[in-house]
Amino acid sequence: MRHVLWMMLFASLTAVVFGVVAKGSDRQRLVYGLKVFAEFLVVAFILGWILYFLPFR
Amino acid sequence: MSDKVVTKNRSESAGSRAWAIGLGAWAVPGLGHLILGRWQRALLSGGAVWGMFLLGLRLGGHLFRVTDQGFAALLQLLPMSANLGSGLLYLFCFVTNIGFAEQAQRVTYEYGNTFLLVAGLLNYLCMLDAFDIAAGRKQ
Repeated sequence: MRHVLWMMLFASLTAVVFGVVAKGSDRQRLVYGLKVFAEFLVVAFILGWILYFLPFR
Repeated sequence: MSDKVVTKNRSESAGSRAWAIGLGAWAVPGLGHLILGRWQRALLSGGAVWGMFLLGLRLGGHLFRVTDQGFAALLQLLPMSANLGSGLLYLFCFVTNIGFAEQAQRVTYEYGNTFLLVAGLLNYLCMLDAFDIAAGRKQ
Protein backbone atom coordinates (compact mmCIF):
# COMPACT_ATOMS: atom_id res chain seq x y z
CA MET A 1 0.00 0.00 0.00
CA ARG A 2 2.83 2.37 0.85
CA HIS A 3 4.29 1.91 -2.64
CA VAL A 4 1.04 3.16 -4.17
CA LEU A 5 1.14 6.21 -1.94
CA TRP A 6 4.73 7.05 -2.94
CA MET A 7 3.78 6.58 -6.57
CA MET A 8 0.75 8.86 -6.15
CA LEU A 9 2.91 11.49 -4.44
CA PHE A 10 5.42 11.29 -7.27
CA ALA A 11 2.63 11.62 -9.85
CA SER A 12 1.08 14.60 -8.07
CA LEU A 13 4.35 16.53 -7.71
CA THR A 14 5.28 15.88 -11.33
CA ALA A 15 1.79 16.83 -12.51
CA VAL A 16 2.02 20.11 -10.58
CA VAL A 17 5.18 21.12 -12.44
CA PHE A 18 3.77 19.98 -15.79
CA GLY A 19 0.65 22.04 -15.12
CA VAL A 20 2.69 25.09 -14.11
CA VAL A 21 4.86 25.13 -17.23
CA ALA A 22 2.00 24.36 -19.64
CA LYS A 23 0.54 27.01 -21.93
CA GLY A 24 -3.00 28.37 -21.78
CA SER A 25 -5.32 29.85 -19.19
CA ASP A 26 -5.25 28.89 -15.51
CA ARG A 27 -8.19 26.57 -16.02
CA GLN A 28 -6.58 24.86 -19.03
CA ARG A 29 -3.36 24.33 -17.08
CA LEU A 30 -5.27 22.93 -14.12
CA VAL A 31 -7.09 20.47 -16.37
CA TYR A 32 -3.78 19.51 -18.02
CA GLY A 33 -2.16 18.89 -14.62
CA LEU A 34 -5.06 16.71 -13.51
CA LYS A 35 -4.89 14.83 -16.81
CA VAL A 36 -1.16 14.17 -16.36
CA PHE A 37 -1.78 12.94 -12.81
CA ALA A 38 -4.54 10.59 -13.99
CA GLU A 39 -2.37 9.30 -16.84
CA PHE A 40 0.48 8.51 -14.43
CA LEU A 41 -1.86 6.49 -12.24
CA VAL A 42 -3.53 4.62 -15.11
CA VAL A 43 -0.20 3.69 -16.73
CA ALA A 44 1.26 2.61 -13.37
CA PHE A 45 -1.70 0.34 -12.61
CA ILE A 46 -1.66 -1.20 -16.09
CA LEU A 47 2.10 -1.85 -15.92
CA GLY A 48 1.70 -3.19 -12.39
CA TRP A 49 -0.88 -5.77 -13.49
CA ILE A 50 1.20 -6.75 -16.55
CA LEU A 51 4.28 -7.30 -14.37
CA TYR A 52 2.19 -9.27 -11.84
CA PHE A 53 1.52 -12.00 -14.42
CA LEU A 54 5.10 -12.19 -15.72
CA PRO A 55 7.15 -15.01 -14.13
CA PHE A 56 10.15 -13.03 -12.80
CA ARG A 57 11.57 -15.46 -10.24
CA MET B 1 19.23 55.51 -36.61
CA SER B 2 19.38 56.26 -32.87
CA ASP B 3 16.00 54.53 -32.41
CA LYS B 4 17.53 51.34 -33.85
CA VAL B 5 20.47 51.59 -31.44
CA VAL B 6 18.14 52.11 -28.48
CA THR B 7 15.97 49.15 -29.54
CA LYS B 8 19.05 46.95 -29.97
CA ASN B 9 20.38 47.94 -26.53
CA ARG B 10 16.97 47.21 -24.97
CA SER B 11 16.73 43.77 -26.54
CA GLU B 12 20.31 42.97 -25.48
CA SER B 13 19.57 43.98 -21.89
CA ALA B 14 16.31 41.96 -21.95
CA GLY B 15 18.29 38.98 -23.28
CA SER B 16 20.92 39.20 -20.56
CA ARG B 17 18.17 39.60 -17.95
CA ALA B 18 16.50 36.45 -19.28
CA TRP B 19 19.80 34.54 -19.01
CA ALA B 20 20.32 35.80 -15.45
CA ILE B 21 16.78 34.75 -14.49
CA GLY B 22 17.35 31.35 -16.13
CA LEU B 23 20.54 30.92 -14.10
CA GLY B 24 18.74 31.93 -10.91
CA ALA B 25 15.89 29.52 -11.69
CA TRP B 26 18.41 26.71 -12.09
CA ALA B 27 20.37 27.62 -8.95
CA VAL B 28 17.40 27.86 -6.59
CA PRO B 29 14.20 26.06 -7.65
CA GLY B 30 11.35 28.60 -7.81
CA LEU B 31 13.59 31.68 -7.77
CA GLY B 32 13.17 32.43 -11.47
CA HIS B 33 9.40 32.75 -11.27
CA LEU B 34 9.73 34.62 -7.99
CA ILE B 35 11.93 37.29 -9.63
CA LEU B 36 9.38 37.56 -12.44
CA GLY B 37 6.63 38.19 -9.90
CA ARG B 38 4.82 34.92 -10.65
CA TRP B 39 4.22 34.01 -7.02
CA GLN B 40 1.84 31.14 -7.62
CA ARG B 41 4.06 29.50 -10.21
CA ALA B 42 7.12 29.98 -7.99
CA LEU B 43 5.37 28.44 -5.02
CA LEU B 44 3.99 25.48 -6.95
CA SER B 45 6.99 24.62 -9.11
CA GLY B 46 9.63 25.48 -6.50
CA GLY B 47 7.69 23.66 -3.79
CA ALA B 48 7.33 20.57 -5.97
CA VAL B 49 11.05 20.45 -6.85
CA TRP B 50 12.24 21.17 -3.31
CA GLY B 51 9.76 18.65 -1.92
CA MET B 52 10.76 16.00 -4.40
CA PHE B 53 14.48 16.51 -3.74
CA LEU B 54 14.17 16.42 0.06
CA LEU B 55 11.80 13.44 -0.07
CA GLY B 56 14.26 11.66 -2.35
CA LEU B 57 17.00 12.07 0.23
CA ARG B 58 14.61 11.05 3.04
CA LEU B 59 13.64 7.89 1.17
CA GLY B 60 17.26 6.79 0.97
CA GLY B 61 17.97 7.69 -2.64
CA HIS B 62 21.46 8.64 -3.65
CA LEU B 63 22.89 11.34 -5.87
CA PHE B 64 25.24 10.51 -8.73
CA ARG B 65 28.72 11.84 -9.44
CA VAL B 66 31.48 10.70 -11.71
CA THR B 67 33.83 8.57 -9.65
CA ASP B 68 34.75 5.66 -11.90
CA GLN B 69 37.17 5.61 -14.80
CA GLY B 70 36.56 4.77 -18.44
CA PHE B 71 33.20 3.49 -19.70
CA ALA B 72 31.65 3.27 -16.22
CA ALA B 73 32.14 7.02 -15.86
CA LEU B 74 30.00 7.56 -18.96
CA LEU B 75 27.19 5.56 -17.36
CA GLN B 76 27.21 7.91 -14.37
CA LEU B 77 27.33 11.04 -16.47
CA LEU B 78 23.67 10.92 -17.55
CA PRO B 79 22.07 10.51 -14.10
CA MET B 80 24.56 13.06 -12.73
CA SER B 81 23.41 15.63 -15.28
CA ALA B 82 19.81 14.95 -14.17
CA ASN B 83 20.79 15.43 -10.52
CA LEU B 84 22.69 18.58 -11.42
CA GLY B 85 19.37 20.12 -12.50
CA SER B 86 18.57 20.69 -8.84
CA GLY B 87 21.14 23.48 -8.87
CA LEU B 88 22.59 24.60 -5.57
CA LEU B 89 20.77 21.79 -3.75
CA TYR B 90 22.98 19.32 -5.60
CA LEU B 91 26.11 21.44 -5.19
CA PHE B 92 25.45 21.80 -1.44
CA CYS B 93 25.12 18.01 -1.14
CA PHE B 94 28.27 17.59 -3.26
CA VAL B 95 30.32 19.88 -1.00
CA THR B 96 28.97 18.41 2.25
CA ASN B 97 28.95 14.83 0.89
CA ILE B 98 25.28 14.32 1.79
CA GLY B 99 23.20 11.82 -0.17
CA PHE B 100 25.99 10.16 -2.16
CA ALA B 101 26.09 6.95 -0.12
CA GLU B 102 24.08 4.07 -1.59
CA GLN B 103 21.47 2.59 0.74
CA ALA B 104 20.25 -0.27 -1.44
CA GLN B 105 19.05 -2.22 1.62
CA ARG B 106 16.22 0.25 2.13
CA VAL B 107 12.86 -0.63 0.57
CA THR B 108 12.32 2.90 -0.69
CA TYR B 109 15.82 3.22 -2.18
CA GLU B 110 14.64 3.15 -5.82
CA TYR B 111 11.83 5.57 -5.07
CA GLY B 112 14.39 7.92 -3.55
CA ASN B 113 16.63 7.68 -6.61
CA THR B 114 13.70 8.41 -8.92
CA PHE B 115 12.56 11.36 -6.82
CA LEU B 116 16.07 12.85 -6.87
CA LEU B 117 16.55 12.35 -10.62
CA VAL B 118 13.13 13.71 -11.55
CA ALA B 119 13.49 16.70 -9.20
CA GLY B 120 16.49 17.82 -11.26
CA LEU B 121 14.75 17.19 -14.57
CA LEU B 122 11.64 19.10 -13.48
CA ASN B 123 13.80 22.02 -12.39
CA TYR B 124 15.27 22.15 -15.91
CA LEU B 125 11.69 22.50 -17.19
CA CYS B 126 10.97 25.28 -14.68
CA MET B 127 14.22 27.00 -15.65
CA LEU B 128 13.26 26.97 -19.34
CA ASP B 129 9.77 28.25 -18.47
CA ALA B 130 11.22 31.15 -16.45
CA PHE B 131 13.67 31.92 -19.27
CA ASP B 132 10.87 31.94 -21.86
CA ILE B 133 8.73 34.28 -19.76
CA ALA B 134 11.68 36.63 -19.15
CA ALA B 135 12.55 36.63 -22.88
CA GLY B 136 8.95 37.47 -23.76
CA ARG B 137 8.27 34.23 -25.61
CA LYS B 138 5.58 33.19 -23.17
CA GLN B 139 2.97 34.88 -20.96
